[in-house]
Amino acid sequence: MPSTVVAAVLEADAAVIAAERENAAVLAKSITIDNLNGGGDRVIQIQDVFTPAVTEGEAGPIEHEVDRFKYTALAGDQITLGEDELKGVKCLGAMKVYSDVADASCFITVGYEHE
Amino acid sequence: MLELQPKPQFSVVIPPKLLQEGYLVTFSSDWPSTHVAIREKTFRIDAVNQVPYDLSYIIPAGDYRDVDFANGSGTFKENIYPENQSSLFEVLLGFKPGNFISHWYVPAGKSVHNLEYAQMYPDLTDAKRKYLGARQPKDSPYDDPRIKLYFVKDLAPIIMRLYVLAGVDFEKIVTGLTINKCLMREITLPTEDQKLKAKVIRYYDYLRW
Repeated sequence: MPSTVVAAVLEADAAVIAAERENAAVLAKSITIDNLNGGGDRVIQIQDVFTPAVTEGEAGPIEHEVDRFKYTALAGDQITLGEDELKGVKCLGAMKVYSDVADASCFITVGYEHE
Repeated sequence: MLELQPKPQFSVVIPPKLLQEGYLVTFSSDWPSTHVAIREKTFRIDAVNQVPYDLSYIIPAGDYRDVDFANGSGTFKENIYPENQSSLFEVLLGFKPGNFISHWYVPAGKSVHNLEYAQMYPDLTDAKRKYLGARQPKDSPYDDPRIKLYFVKDLAPIIMRLYVLAGVDFEKIVTGLTINKCLMREITLPTEDQKLKAKVIRYYDYLRW
């Protein structure tokens, strides 16, 4: 299972965990939020970024950003969530992660798989 | 103790899922006159080549996309059809799991799964009849595809309508194709034995009587 570690960044700069793969969705398998040295509580979200196909109802689809998971990591804390807690967290396009506050001392590690 | 395994009285041979080199195919008489080059003719498969190909679409709930397997430059065309008269494409099609159904039309607008009573045709605007004739992902799984299609040059467009059911915001529909490219050589005077052994490929209209 591949994983990526990123520092907490704002939504505008959301960090890519896994790029979109045409023939698969991305499943979140684990997430570790290391906020031991963070500057305060951080709200971490997993975001799904994709552009739908042209359909009967939408001839000119635009890019969508859908939040799939949200967790508040308390300052001075470190939390790991596994497959059970992340069940159903699936990104159809690219999987990204962002925080409510940019914090270079708050680290997020996400393990994922393509389905 | 000594045990002697009895010799099995019969064995079960599972035939291959796809046409193989040396197999015979016959195109039945119900093919339209536009297919005179193959209609009521028997061919030997001289070569095969399996080409895997995945198609995927992200579609919002309650919406659909028509996937046209025919060749062309339109948005919905997937260009899977052969370009040569001597080619037969046998296609296995399976779906990855998801919250969607598929309906089938040959050509566009003509469902192959109507019943006989009036208005008993697939209708995505109707709560019940949207499921009439619908093929679900479990009917033809990605790893064990059960839907098989035969494409020849200039065949009428075969349309797969992919509809995402309510309950999700969007669904990613992944369709796995295995395109078995078959090179055909006509047997001008097939023997009765060859005719009996040949796989009969009928025109899609036979599904609608």
